[in-house]
Amino acid sequence: MKIAVCLKPVPSTTADLRPAADGKSLQLSGVEMLVNPYDDYAFEAALKLREALPGSSILAVSAGGDDTAKCVLHAIALGADAAIQVKAPGISARGAAFAIAAALKDFAPDLVLCGRQAIDDDQWEFPGALGELLNIPHVTAVQSLNVDVDGKKLTGKRRFNRDEQTIEATLPAVVSCDKGLNDPRSPTLKGRLDAKKKTATIKTPADLGLDPAALISTIRIETIAPPPQKSPGRIITLPPTDAAREVVRWLCDEAKVV
Amino acid sequence: MTILLIAEHAGGTLKKSAHELSSAARALDAGATIHALALGAGATSVATELAAWGAQAVRVGEEGFEPYAPLCWTCAVVDVANAVKADVILFGAGALSRDIAGRVAMRLGGTLASDCMALSADGKGIKIVRPTHAGRVTTTGAFSGPGPLVATLRANAFAVLKPAQPGAGNVANLNAPTDTADLRAIVTATVQSTGTRPELSEASIVISGGRSLGSAENFKLIYDLCDVLGAAPGASRAAVDAGYAPHAMQVGQTGRTVNPALYIACGISGAIQHLAGMRTSKTIVAINKDPNAAIFNVADLAVVGDLFQILPALTEEFRKALK
Ligand SMILES: Cc1cc2nc3c(=O)[nH]c(=O)nc-3n(C[C@H](O)[C@H](O)[C@H](O)COP(=O)(O)OP(=O)(O)OC[C@H]3O[C@@H](n4cnc5c(N)ncnc54)[C@H](O)[C@@H]3O)c2cc1C
Ligand SMILES: Nc1ncnc2c1ncn2[C@@H]1O[C@H](COP(=O)(O)O)[C@@H](O)[C@H]1O
Repeated sequence: MKIAVCLKPVPSTTADLRPAADGKSLQLSGVEMLVNPYDDYAFEAALKLREALPGSSILAVSAGGDDTAKCVLHAIALGADAAIQVKAPGISARGAAFAIAAALKDFAPDLVLCGRQAIDDDQWEFPGALGELLNIPHVTAVQSLNVDVDGKKLTGKRRFNRDEQTIEATLPAVVSCDKGLNDPRSPTLKGRLDAKKKTATIKTPADLGLDPAALISTIRIETIAPPPQKSPGRIITLPPTDAAREVVRWLCDEAKVV
Repeated sequence: MTILLIAEHAGGTLKKSAHELSSAARALDAGATIHALALGAGATSVATELAAWGAQAVRVGEEGFEPYAPLCWTCAVVDVANAVKADVILFGAGALSRDIAGRVAMRLGGTLASDCMALSADGKGIKIVRPTHAGRVTTTGAFSGPGPLVATLRANAFAVLKPAQPGAGNVANLNAPTDTADLRAIVTATVQSTGTRPELSEASIVISGGRSLGSAENFKLIYDLCDVLGAAPGASRAAVDAGYAPHAMQVGQTGRTVNPALYIACGISGAIQHLAGMRTSKTIVAINKDPNAAIFNVADLAVVGDLFQILPALTEEFRKALK
């Protein structure tokens, strides 16, 4: 089976993010970049499938600025058979779908795995958009995944609002992965050393027949600001019953939220 | 402007999000022509209410839309959006929009904006406010095409206001797409949760417990208060990882995002990944025995003390107050 995994570099979850001086972008110099955590579940799922289905191959692909190197290196260190890095700084999730759909053409994957959401833009857009461009079904946010290669189909389980859903799809398909799907492994030292010997294929939008300008978001950013700061709240340090009474009074009479 | 609302319902009971979509549409453009689409079993019975909420025309599709097939629903949304020449398509941010909105936007040649907190029009285009980077920053952007805007709206972020005049509410039946390619992904089984408590991401009050609860049994302290207030229970990741609460209850970056009118954090330290899931809540109350807990930085009311004493007292006081 031919498996493609899409990985996106994102700022570390604990990084102190601040707007840059222009007020329209983020100050990212010095901010540690990681592989989007959900993409780790996707890559682990790919490794498990390759172990179960000998002869399978994994292609890792990442589109964006220079940080995409981090993703392809990580994937190679974990055992990707090949990797493509599409150099297209500043692209949107939609732009990434165009770039990656084009980059995957020759490989013609049976299964494309990605994360449920990139934790920087939080769009939840790419998997469905990619499925549309490749004209194959997409299944989002699975917490379990079974692939039946002979039957050319897959079964996933996921939470859908309050429900637990079982969903089936025919292959090829795009599947996005949620926490709970598996326990992602980390690259071994040997993997990291081996990765130094392998290289990713680098493509530009032009190589893929795409106009870089068409990959940028159509939403023009006007401002990026820290979330509204709250003024310090009221502090209550009373014995339990008095504290409880005061909370109820405040919520019902002052804040009027209950 | 022509605005299409994707109205969600549970077996024929309209969800609160539909009221929010309608309100947001009218706030965006007071003179908008509003269309609504409801799909799935029971859709027909929400048409009247959608008209009361300002829809000029309502399309409903029941037969052929169950069981849920994402491509089938995508096709229906796109067909209606094209038929009415929608400038804006609004979804509530939730499982459905996260499943198909990206595909809908791509097929329409439009643009997706997820989890919007505010939308406004200024003659030149549409202004969009949305949190990104798990709420660590707020982004304001301007959109003026090409193609329609597909926006998903965060629950409880838009003021709900019923229109002075109902819409005409002309109802038309929608036939399910017949292309079998639209059934390439399909739900084959659904297990419905049995609880009577509200859905976490829609609840107007959420009460969460952290690792300090110490056991699954002790979470009863949270559930008891929830039941008095009609609230949904939540949990920190540490509590979920320790097995005190199911993953479905996790609030935060790798859990659910909530935006209630009131969030009560009990014995939660306030790690950045937890804040990511709840910091937009309108009023935040935190109970923690550590006066320096980070959660107090975002709390409107900081209660310093032992939750094992304060929670039962709080449940008792609310019970009295709400009698
Ligand atoms: C990639 C990543 C993703 C993550 N995603 C999430 C997520 O989605 N959601 C999430 O919540 N976390 C998430 N975390 C974990 C997060 O960093 C914290 O570890 C977690 O939120 C801590 O949970 P807690 O506050 O319950 O526990 P603790 O940090 O252990 O805090 C317990 C608190 O309870 C207080 N306390 C103890 N006893 C009492 C008492 N008797 N009465 C009152 N107060 C008491 C203590 O003072 C302390 O503040 C994530 C971490 C990573 C690295
Ligand atoms: N630029 C990108 N390069 C590679 N994969 C991406 C990119 N953008 C998004 N993805 C994939 O799509 C998933 C969902 O992202 P999003 O739709 O942006 O929230 C991510 O977890 C990645 O697997």
